[in-house]
Amino acid sequence: MVTLQDRSRATATGHAKPRHRDGRRWTAGRVLGRATWFGGTGLFLIFFALPVLWMILATGKTDGDIIRGHPFALGNWHDFTQTWNNLLAFQDGAILLWMKNSAVYAFGALVITLVTAIPAGYGLALTKFIGRKTLLTITLIVMIMPAAALVLPLYLEINAVNLTGTIWSVILPLSFFPFGVYLTYIYYSSTIPEDLLAAARLDGCTEWQVFAKIAIPLAKPIIALVSFFSFVGNWNNFFLPFVMLPDSQQYPAQVGLNNLLTASAVFNTSAGTEAPILRPELALAALLTILPVLLVFLFSQRALVSGMLAGGTKE
Amino acid sequence: MNHRIAGAVAVFGAALLLTACGSADPAPAPSADAEQFKQVAQDPAGEITVWADATRVPVVEAYQKAHPEAKIKLVTYSGNANGATDLQTKVQLFDRTGSGWPDVAFSTTTADTAWAAFGAKPYAAPVDKVIDQSVLSGFSPGALDPCKVGENVYCVRNDLAQVVLWYNKKLLDEFGYQVPTTWEEYQTLGEKVATEHPGYLVGTAGDPWMPEIYLWASQCPASTVTEGKNVTVDLKNEKCTRAVSMIDTLIKAGSMSKSSVFDAGFIKDKAAKLLMAPGPSWYGQVLFNATFKIPKGEIAAAAPLKYAADSETFTGNVGGGVWYISSHSKNLKTAADLVSWVTTSDEAQGNAGTYPAFQSAATLWLSNQQATGYFAQDIAPAFTTAAKQVWPGWSATQYSHESIYASTVVPALNQGQTITSTLDAWQTAIKNKAATLGYKVS
Amino acid sequence: MAVASTSARRPEGGVRGGQKPSRAGYFFVSGYVILLVAFGILPTVYAVWLSISNSRGQLVGLGNFLRTFTDYRFAAAFTHIVVYVLIWLVTLMVLVVTLALMLHGRMRRTSAALRFVYYLPGALAGVASVVLWLILLDPANSPVGFILEAFGWDSLATVILPSHLPVLFTVIAFWTGAGGWILVMYGALNNIPAEILEAARADGAGTFRIAMRIQLPLLRKWIAYMLILAFATGTQLFVEPQLVSTASFGMIPDGWSPNQLSYQYAFQAGDFNGAAALAVDLLFVGLACATAVVFRGRMFERD
Repeated sequence: MVTLQDRSRATATGHAKPRHRDGRRWTAGRVLGRATWFGGTGLFLIFFALPVLWMILATGKTDGDIIRGHPFALGNWHDFTQTWNNLLAFQDGAILLWMKNSAVYAFGALVITLVTAIPAGYGLALTKFIGRKTLLTITLIVMIMPAAALVLPLYLEINAVNLTGTIWSVILPLSFFPFGVYLTYIYYSSTIPEDLLAAARLDGCTEWQVFAKIAIPLAKPIIALVSFFSFVGNWNNFFLPFVMLPDSQQYPAQVGLNNLLTASAVFNTSAGTEAPILRPELALAALLTILPVLLVFLFSQRALVSGMLAGGTKE
Repeated sequence: MNHRIAGAVAVFGAALLLTACGSADPAPAPSADAEQFKQVAQDPAGEITVWADATRVPVVEAYQKAHPEAKIKLVTYSGNANGATDLQTKVQLFDRTGSGWPDVAFSTTTADTAWAAFGAKPYAAPVDKVIDQSVLSGFSPGALDPCKVGENVYCVRNDLAQVVLWYNKKLLDEFGYQVPTTWEEYQTLGEKVATEHPGYLVGTAGDPWMPEIYLWASQCPASTVTEGKNVTVDLKNEKCTRAVSMIDTLIKAGSMSKSSVFDAGFIKDKAAKLLMAPGPSWYGQVLFNATFKIPKGEIAAAAPLKYAADSETFTGNVGGGVWYISSHSKNLKTAADLVSWVTTSDEAQGNAGTYPAFQSAATLWLSNQQATGYFAQDIAPAFTTAAKQVWPGWSATQYSHESIYASTVVPALNQGQTITSTLDAWQTAIKNKAATLGYKVS
Repeated sequence: MAVASTSARRPEGGVRGGQKPSRAGYFFVSGYVILLVAFGILPTVYAVWLSISNSRGQLVGLGNFLRTFTDYRFAAAFTHIVVYVLIWLVTLMVLVVTLALMLHGRMRRTSAALRFVYYLPGALAGVASVVLWLILLDPANSPVGFILEAFGWDSLATVILPSHLPVLFTVIAFWTGAGGWILVMYGALNNIPAEILEAARADGAGTFRIAMRIQLPLLRKWIAYMLILAFATGTQLFVEPQLVSTASFGMIPDGWSPNQLSYQYAFQAGDFNGAAALAVDLLFVGLACATAVVFRGRMFERD
């Protein structure tokens, strides 16, 4: 068992070495290991990717093809443009408006989350103050409180300060992100050895300088992780904007999608046949609204990996 | 630290047990009394907020175009379609803060009346106090029944979904069958189809709205709401069991499907083999044309079926939207004008997706349907007959028979049970649900 | 910044853990604490107050709890959730940790691509995925129809029979949620210095031994954290039953899980007090689990 002392020493002094072991002999064990690896990850690759692949293909077909044809038959460009046009025709391109709104809420809340959660996680992990454990406990309690019960209190609260209907009624509650504080707390408490901070303090650094010089440069991976989870949470939140916003011009993508769904004859038998929103249009709308999330994922994944590998060696 | 917290919680909890001073029962919702309806201070030039589902948006926009002086803020919402309770959820919150109610709201379900017309200050205004009686009397007989509480009307019906007998004329002629006129003939035909043309179907029983098609038409007292919030549930009544045993027989024979008409599997494999189906008026365009893609000139509608023993024919109804006017509205005049226009005018209703509840608009609508040339013969006689035959004894309840049937009976059906054997469980489910919503069940 | 002057008086505190309480900590957490009070504590306290009072604002003690406890849906909903949470926690813990370990430190490009694909469904949350499940669960035209039929399920209704639901919801929740956790675990594994692993390998430890003896113990806090959150989100199951219910036109009872039941109380019956009582029930169940994990996993201790 490696002791924590060893680990922090290694963290403080080490530098990344090539990971591969010497020699690449193909013993029976290795072959078996390889096969297991490919088999296992491949199985889950299919599990996670197949439904998404189906959905992408569905956007290039007609509703009838989806129901009657082979699930993985290829669509065609003509049907895809038709789907695209039908979707954009829905309330004069409402989907673009929803996505713009979502971006405002998600990024607005993200900024406030980062500014509050990173220092807070650091403070909880590496400074001492009275009430530290209480704060951790309360954070935990609030985190596991079922959201359904908080809707009414939040609504009354926002109403009491006259913010109903403004973008702040969505941004402010979303920017409270205890999950991020905990991630940061765990990250700092298991990455930065206190010796390092102690040394900095001995050198006469103020607490703020310690944070700015040591914690911030190391923060890249955790900022990536918190940004990512915060952004996704904000982007996908349905209930809060649904309750807070009185105007359909303000709807974010998730609330808008719900309207799109109930405007479809597939789910609303009283919709009649005028709105050509059927399965392909719904699939396309779903895929469009996840693009921003995937972009943020790609960015944060890069920061996450590069930052973490470089992490321990910095001073 | 945590022991201290635990201790404090225990002491606090014990203290609460001892200090309870009120009753935990939720406040009973008093029945609305329309005589007490008082308008708030009115501003006839003020802006009104209208909530409508996406399908109804063009109609409201058309009203705005025809009445440029009216100030309208249009909000799109789900319209409570497919079991959503968005309007109710929001109104509960607005009631708490005392502001925010939409002046006019469209809902795809008549069940909303059961909450909107109740409470200390009901959301729905009695429309008979704000809309002229001459307008209301132009609706199909019985169309406003689901909106009625006592003698007052709390919503305006947008469209009807009266049940008729849909059939595939081409197939029927091919097989040499006659269109049945009674349920008894229907059952006999169903059994005949099962043996002569296995695989072909005369109806479906897996749709959530099966009770509204078969039980409503057979005048089953599945929920009878009387004065206030008393409800009786009697699925064992002969009027119910005659429909249920017919369905069980046909399912066993194989000519009635346990799926829903909207199951993708059904659309793929069974739709073309649907010889006939009792179903609501919207089946024509929404189901046969848009979903099943049955070619032009094959589908026709016949008048509702009758039970041989009954002296009169009754039918059911599956859905149909309604418009509410807010009792909190500061501009009842514009609100009432808008609701009248969108439900009664030819411009708004003549080409709507579903059958208009307003009679004169319905006539125009039917001739427009005929002009599409989709149906094998004119559907107007069947539709107009059925519109007058909707059984008035089926109460509008706050709970939905659809969701109870779908979650209680359909799973049992698919495990091989008969509907008859689930009657007890079904009845209990309805009673339980009613009780949780504050009904007094007997 | 104000903190610079207050914390400048702290030249001592060199020894590990020997640092004295300082005001700097308060500064670091201040922004968060404001949000915590406004959007966490206040609403929670108000919800707890709702659970012990009635709609006329009178204190009713445990009346709401007793009342909801005798609801005919209560026992069923909590039974469902116990079965579900058991299946869900075991699946999540085992598979997420295993997959993260498998992806870590091997074939960097492939591994990055796999992490991306594993995460893909996570973006497809909520309403967006209804159309997917609408088709996926119907054997007649599902892309995975052959699997469903292999179990002898030949229609949508037989796929979503009540006895299948806990497993079905686990599959859906895992499909959407596992990718994010795999990413967290992967990131955590990156924090383990390469030297430790090198040393272990030099001692002749195999992949499996390294995972069990070195990597897992060092992931302790992260795993504990995942356990708490997965337990809380598991007991608060809401989206998956709603989703399948929408996709099957209502074949799932609307009070399948306690959280759905709470929603029914609040927004169908207009009974916010009963709803809050149910939520507080769930809170206590979650707290019991969290307390156990926090102490066993020494979550609040600093390494």
